[in-house]
Amino acid sequence: MSFFLQELVNGVTTGALYALIALGFSMVYGVLKLLNFAHGDLYMVGGYIGFFIIRWFGGAAKLFIPVPLLVTIMFVAAAVVVGGLGVAMERFAYRPLRNAPRIAPLITAIGISFFLENAALLLFGAQYRVYNTPDFISYSSGIQIGSVSIDSVQIMVLVMGLFIMIGLQQLINRTKLGKQMRAVAADREAAEMFGINVNFTIAAVFFLGSALAGVAGVMAGLLFNTVYNTIGFLAGLKAFTAAVVGGIGSIPGAMLGGLMIGIAESFITGYISSIYVDLIVFGILIVVMLVRPTGLLGRAQLQKV
Amino acid sequence: MSQLATDEPAPVAPAGPQVGADEWVARQAQRREYLPSWLGGTERLVEKVGWWPRLGLAAAAGLVLPLLHVGQFQLQVGIDSLVLALLALGLNVTVGWAGLLDLGYVAFFGFGAYGFALVSSDQLSAQGVHWPAYFSIPVVVVATGLLGLLVGLPSRRLSGDYLAIITLFFGEAFYEITNTVASSKLGGEDGIVGIDPIRGFGVQLLSTEQYYYLMVIFVVGAMIVLRLLEFSRTGRSWRAIRDDPLAASAMTISVDKVKLMAFAFGAMVAGLAGTEFAAQQVSIAPTDFTTQYLIMIYACLILGGAGSIGGAVAGALVLNVVLDGILRNPTYTGYLFYGLIVIALLVKLRPWRRLALVAGSTIVFGYALHAIAAAISHSWVSGSLQSGGWIASALRGWVIVPASATGPGDWGFVLLICMLIALAQVHGRTRTLLLVPTIYLAAFTWETLLGTPTNASITRYIIIAVVLIVMMIARPQGLLGTRRVEVPT
Amino acid sequence: MTAPSQPASPPQEGQQPLLALDKLSLGFGGLRALADLDLQVRDREIVSMIGPNGAGKSTVFNVITGIYRPTAGDVRFAGGSIVGRPPHIIARHGIARTFQSLRLFMNMSVLENVLAATYGSTRASPVESVLRLPRHRREERQNRVLAHDILAFFGQRLAGYRWDQPAYSLSYANRRRLEIARALATKPKLLLLDEPAAGMNPTETHEITELIGRLRDELDLTILVIEHDMHVVAGCSDRVLALDHGVKIAEGGFDTVASHPAVVEAYLGRDPEALAAEPGGPGGSPTQGGTKDR
Ligand SMILES: Nc1ncnc2c1ncn2[C@@H]1O[C@H](COP(=O)(O)OP(=O)(O)O)[C@@H](O)[C@H]1O
Ligand SMILES: [Mg+2]
Repeated sequence: MSFFLQELVNGVTTGALYALIALGFSMVYGVLKLLNFAHGDLYMVGGYIGFFIIRWFGGAAKLFIPVPLLVTIMFVAAAVVVGGLGVAMERFAYRPLRNAPRIAPLITAIGISFFLENAALLLFGAQYRVYNTPDFISYSSGIQIGSVSIDSVQIMVLVMGLFIMIGLQQLINRTKLGKQMRAVAADREAAEMFGINVNFTIAAVFFLGSALAGVAGVMAGLLFNTVYNTIGFLAGLKAFTAAVVGGIGSIPGAMLGGLMIGIAESFITGYISSIYVDLIVFGILIVVMLVRPTGLLGRAQLQKV
Repeated sequence: MSQLATDEPAPVAPAGPQVGADEWVARQAQRREYLPSWLGGTERLVEKVGWWPRLGLAAAAGLVLPLLHVGQFQLQVGIDSLVLALLALGLNVTVGWAGLLDLGYVAFFGFGAYGFALVSSDQLSAQGVHWPAYFSIPVVVVATGLLGLLVGLPSRRLSGDYLAIITLFFGEAFYEITNTVASSKLGGEDGIVGIDPIRGFGVQLLSTEQYYYLMVIFVVGAMIVLRLLEFSRTGRSWRAIRDDPLAASAMTISVDKVKLMAFAFGAMVAGLAGTEFAAQQVSIAPTDFTTQYLIMIYACLILGGAGSIGGAVAGALVLNVVLDGILRNPTYTGYLFYGLIVIALLVKLRPWRRLALVAGSTIVFGYALHAIAAAISHSWVSGSLQSGGWIASALRGWVIVPASATGPGDWGFVLLICMLIALAQVHGRTRTLLLVPTIYLAAFTWETLLGTPTNASITRYIIIAVVLIVMMIARPQGLLGTRRVEVPT
Repeated sequence: MTAPSQPASPPQEGQQPLLALDKLSLGFGGLRALADLDLQVRDREIVSMIGPNGAGKSTVFNVITGIYRPTAGDVRFAGGSIVGRPPHIIARHGIARTFQSLRLFMNMSVLENVLAATYGSTRASPVESVLRLPRHRREERQNRVLAHDILAFFGQRLAGYRWDQPAYSLSYANRRRLEIARALATKPKLLLLDEPAAGMNPTETHEITELIGRLRDELDLTILVIEHDMHVVAGCSDRVLALDHGVKIAEGGFDTVASHPAVVEAYLGRDPEALAAEPGGPGGSPTQGGTKDR
């Protein structure tokens, strides 16, 4: 039983990461109907940013600033830089293709993903970059409930993930910007006619979505300790799965999907074997797509003729 | 008749051949835009020759090449390029014609290679399976087609994007199966070794030259088959579902079946390429069939022009010969890099005064910067250039190369990307002004980072990525394709 | 020839209608697009559907052709129910259509657009095509003759040199014509035309009106046409059906329907200006400007 609970906790934590990546992916899909394959690589960039910030402030063992400040800087820097990267990506690669055939931006997305992976290889090298998290955040200083332990990094990830998701939900449902995003998602042309600045709104969506991926990258670094240039590929793929399982374009769906994939992965690793994780996640995706193509929380849309 | 003339006839009694005459459309041929200067001339010349004669000429050129006493290395580059061309041809069926984004395509290539390797090597000898190539190739190709049907099954319900994810996952699953899950049978990371060469009927293909000829024959054969298919019932239905699947279904086309056929056809071509690849390489490993190679195939197709048979082949040949044949040699790579910059400036910068201004300022800018840097510290300029030959002697004293180039090179690369983005934003005089430091920065990044031997392979991948991104924006129809329109629905 | 202004007789007992809609209903999540719609169309009849925008006219076409599935009711064609069949099977049974928002194969040539629609009536497999076996050759030959005959219906409009132009290079009016040509290439018994004269000038509208009559006379087609232009409706229909909010509000000869209070109300209540712009609109004279079928 305690093994089960422990795996559940681990699964929920990874799931929160996937959910964060899936959120951005789903938001972008919502406004542009574009599968941004480069989204996973933004997460990778976030991971590297966190690593270099630790290094600039003295390295994991010899930090010369307080740990809370360091962590804050890591998250803010990753959010801002990766968010900016997302905006640049939209502006220069996707915007020229708004009215191009559907397949064109998808191919561009593959190109960007490939570009980011190799630029990272060029700039940051092929070696694994290690956060050495235990040197400055003790994993043991968490909560112990019976035999189930939730370490402090996991707590941080869960709490932050929860707040980000609630905040995002509020932003989308309550604020003017959120209203504009929903309008653009529903009908871009109509939104434009009502005086909504479509380009700005799309850029904002890209900024937010990419920033979330950047934050997730830092979290992953803290949790799993290593970053390298291709971590974005599989994580991105899993996040796509999460978004699709939850219902693409739906914010609560992305969260639900992320958690489900995270938990499933954790149990497969724990009870079966880590070799089969990806294959089984793939199987889940296929089954959901065939049984319920709109995802769990997505709404069916009949094509208007 | 002005360009604005439409086809709406005057509301007079419809009579005579003029009615409905659509001047604008009728003169479409004359209004066609060609590439600038001599390129346009070549384009016109090529258009005068029909498709079949063009294929004949190209095939003849391909067959004559080995007679020109090229070396083994060149022949091997030729074989690799032809394998890519075959793959691009198959991908063209699924992506170019049927418009189905298949991101697991490389797995079909891998399946063909692994299939051949399993049945035509000692891998399964214990089970009594060791077939001759003339038997195993057809079997493997058909099996790959069946796998294509299986993978295409979800496409019956899923449109573009979803299909892309499913197939991407499929490609990843194939990699994991060969690499870890079924490693006992498939050799895991080491793959399968000791694969038979192509043999049968008393002949055995061993030399690089023989495989080169075989690949030329396969590529030309595939081109012929696909051309015959393109304007048949099947080919038309593929292109119809790409343009509008819903209308296609209302016009009696069984969209699901047609999609599956496109998948299976593409897979079969990839499977064929896989068998040849395995036979020629003698050994194969999971790393031969990664997403990186998939992206390379896509880059070939996009560069050449999705939807065009000739384009798929031309794209593969050009890209692979450039990347593999030329960019292996740092000096040639330098020539290509600087050559492209100069050509781009020559073509894009008008009038001549502006060009001269930019060129002159860049030269002055470089020498000034170099002098300043040298005055501050000798170590800033004491590194060695990556380029060799006369380029090196021309650039010495102009471009700064610090003694420890790694850090500055990295920052130069990031800054260069920022500059290029900024360059796309500004216009007029600011752009001309900004061009000077950008060119200099490009040279600096090349000499310190991109052109170094350790980074050569990464640089090649970056070039592939940039080709994809830039082509989609600048010339989505590729080199030889025809521009397509899509009506948003 | 039934004069269009004659009051149409209801389908006679014993004679089976070619198309029968039986209490057809369809809702889009709360929105009722069709409600208990009944309609019978006999062989070689031309029936027009009118009604304000959003009345559910196109939805009727989408249900008949299998693109939407009705929530209740039945569609019978030539005696058998076709509800639940996929669109391409329904098309092969002999129902062809055009789309209100043009849906051509934009990157294919005019000729290829027509040829593509012969998919259901041809059989050549990819292997036969590659080897150029007799079946492929015979079918290609027949298709070309068919395409030639069909395009000839449009006189000079889609003639000769235009065959090899891509569809996107055609004018709007020509695209509408090509959609009709493409539909004809499926060799239909029933042709559904969704606003065939939209965006056309008076001369072209006149041509379309005549064309609809010729299609029935020369090809023995049964035609169901949605049209806002009352010249066309008056000029070609044997019978007119008026829809509003997915409900049939009137049915019968043009004059009867056009002056039916519910129809006038539906148009006036919605958009009086649009009505005023239509010369032959409800209550107006159907003859002015419009041409009657012979
Ligand atoms: N796929 C769909 N999803 C939701 N509503 C639809 C869909 N198709 C049609 N409708 C609605 O059904 C009603 C009838 O539409 P339509 O049949 O196109 O009208 P028209 O009579 O102008 O052709 C409209 O209110 C339209 O918005
Ligand atoms: Mg309509």
